[in-house]
Amino acid sequence: MKRWDLIVIGMGLAGLTAARTAMEMGAKVLVVGRGIGSLSLFGNTIDVLGELNPETEMESGIRGWIAAHPDHPYARTGAEGIVEALNAFRTLFPPPYAFAAIDGRNSLVPTGAGTLRPTYLLPVTMAAGASMRREETLIVGLRGFKDFQGDTVSLHLRCRGVTVSLPRYGLEGATALALARLMDEAPFREGLGEMIRQQMAGEKFIGIPAVLGLKDPAGVLKTLEAITGARVFEIPMLPPSIPGTRIFHRFREALIAGGAAFHMGHPATGAAVENGRCTEIYAENPPLTSTYRADRFILANGRFLGGGLWAEMNRIREPLFNLPVFQPGSRGEWFREKFFQPESHPIHRSGILTDADLRPVDEEGRVILRNVWAAGSILAHHQAIEEHSREGIDIATGFLAARRALSA
Amino acid sequence: MTTGNANRTPARTFPDVCVRCATCMAVCPVSRVTPRFPGPKQAGPGAQRFRSASEASVDDWIELCTSCHLCDTVCPAGVPISELNLMAKAKFLDERGRTFRDWLLVRSDLFGELAARFSGIVNPLMKNGAIRWLLDRLLGIDRRRDLPGYEYPTFRQWFRTRPAPEDRKPEVAYFYGCFTNTNETDVGKAAVALLEAHGFKVTVPPQRCCGIPRLGIGDLRGAKEMGERNLDLLLPTVRRGIDIVFSSTSCGLMLRHEYGRLLELPGAGELAMRLFDLCEFLARVRGEGESVVRFRPLPMKAAYFAPCHLRSLNIGLPALELLRFVPELDIRVIEAECCGLGGLYGFKKEKYEIAEEIGKDLAEEVARMQPEILLTDCEGCRMQLRQLTGIRTLHPAQLLRDVLQG
Repeated sequence: MKRWDLIVIGMGLAGLTAARTAMEMGAKVLVVGRGIGSLSLFGNTIDVLGELNPETEMESGIRGWIAAHPDHPYARTGAEGIVEALNAFRTLFPPPYAFAAIDGRNSLVPTGAGTLRPTYLLPVTMAAGASMRREETLIVGLRGFKDFQGDTVSLHLRCRGVTVSLPRYGLEGATALALARLMDEAPFREGLGEMIRQQMAGEKFIGIPAVLGLKDPAGVLKTLEAITGARVFEIPMLPPSIPGTRIFHRFREALIAGGAAFHMGHPATGAAVENGRCTEIYAENPPLTSTYRADRFILANGRFLGGGLWAEMNRIREPLFNLPVFQPGSRGEWFREKFFQPESHPIHRSGILTDADLRPVDEEGRVILRNVWAAGSILAHHQAIEEHSREGIDIATGFLAARRALSA
Repeated sequence: MTTGNANRTPARTFPDVCVRCATCMAVCPVSRVTPRFPGPKQAGPGAQRFRSASEASVDDWIELCTSCHLCDTVCPAGVPISELNLMAKAKFLDERGRTFRDWLLVRSDLFGELAARFSGIVNPLMKNGAIRWLLDRLLGIDRRRDLPGYEYPTFRQWFRTRPAPEDRKPEVAYFYGCFTNTNETDVGKAAVALLEAHGFKVTVPPQRCCGIPRLGIGDLRGAKEMGERNLDLLLPTVRRGIDIVFSSTSCGLMLRHEYGRLLELPGAGELAMRLFDLCEFLARVRGEGESVVRFRPLPMKAAYFAPCHLRSLNIGLPALELLRFVPELDIRVIEAECCGLGGLYGFKKEKYEIAEEIGKDLAEEVARMQPEILLTDCEGCRMQLRQLTGIRTLHPAQLLRDVLQG
């Protein structure tokens, strides 16, 4: 049976980053995932540490922040590790559809809820959102498109808002994917640009739902900006995420071209462990059970939604290797009183504890499996939601896990 | 020691496993091109919550699902979305009744041999404008769709009449599928040649249509019957310890997974264990280092398309692995999801435009890549690619056979 150098479990940004890093180091890589991973849900911009004040320069700011958070996954990668991994990520997206940080700092960009959120790397299609001025901005909703309520967004952002008809009939109820696909057609985006232009009252910025095409989003942006004479930006919205899907497609394209394999749709449900090493994992594809062998494994299947962690009635488990999970003492301590509040729910700190190389360890700090590494949100001691650090953790730990796995 | 918990598969028709995350909405080829189909999230688990066995089906859009299974492959919660759709489609069509066209099309295995015998007459007739007009008007088979020609002798006849090769080699059985048998016999010949070149003696056990066309019209009972017949015919082979390979990824998905998972046929697991995709089988043989067969250099620009049902088999892209062994072949993967044909779906008048619109994305990608040849494992994808691009389109096995050394 075929033996891989590395099997990555999970297809989110952490798993994909690990797979690409390993592939570029010359490894034969297999990526297995229960589904497509979380990129098509939330992937839009690259958060690294949104809680850092936008005045603070990221690289130096994160160094100080890590010193104050010695258990955080970032303490494993270090500030240099984060920067190196982010640079590697950016090489996957050459211009025109490139990712960049504005001024090396966090920026505030509008969301589909009409709020502003801090983030770090922005795709070119969202960059203008960071410098928009309310009084000079027009928020454009698309008639019949339910996943983006332009009125709500403009009301909350205190901008002027309009809802324009699509330049083709019969599209009421069209999905984000359908609209993105239509944007890839020149006549459609030109027609939409014209519709928007007619509604403008001298605005210099235009915010539009994040559906500016899958194949050539920078080209769609260019068309709309040429027609309207304004700077256009995409606003992230409800899933599915078109910008995240672009990221996934780009990774998949690069991985398959480089000889990596993808097995998608069936979760890894079991593993064989001998002498402190994992020898093979199993995936259920009824009526068959597939067996995958490798020298090394990276566990990057996320937390509760991705299936990396399971919440049972009274405790949280890691279902694949039965690894110990750092967690609150009892179920009663999982959540705070209110769902929305500034502090993180304690359950969100739960996850896998690791050594400096990202290998899972027990409570005494002893390595449990010598050829298994963990990456991404399954790691303990981060609060990705409140810190605004999800993608940064994925990229930095995915990168480090692959480096460590292949040098072991 | 084995860790993990393999038995947490949720009850199959339990819609509440869906967390409404909309991941499936990022891949559904049908809702990508038409708002008439609400997409897998709504059509599957969403509508399932309102369905009742005792009430008549109101899902008049459910027929628009092509059963490509892409939604199943991306779902993070493991919801068998396309299966929910299929069950709903079966109920809807059981109540509304199926057309004569649907009855006819899913029985192409029965008239295929006859059509092949008279292919000299049948093929020109199927290109005749008046006949196509009649088929379009009377049956609803869209006249814009190229109909595949029939070939004579059939693959089965060719195989039966060829000189028997020497006997001492390890045996492997071949499931060729209806389309190879009567419409694309060269795929079967290529499969046999490749397997023999890799040191196997090929046998062809008796077999019937796998039944997947019947699933397409929600005819679960008919599909079950086909499955039972095939299990009777194929199980003796696997019980002798012989592996069976298939060259059509849709037949393969049906035999390997739907017989067990969906139709719950006894013996399905036993068959599935010894059933392999042709390229998967060959890649494995090569990986084990037995009889490394070399290929001649082929300086050519080729593009490979991964069929949906291949993705659902969850075996990666074994054809691509093999094609990369051909020296100087510039082989690239077409970045597109689903060709749109959906088997018989794209032949139906009321669905032709949806199939064509889905395929447009694929055609545009091909136009951008400008390959000299297209390669894909599924006969449906090949038909669609030929019609959309006019570029020579083969099963990967055909190209590999053509560059076998010695």
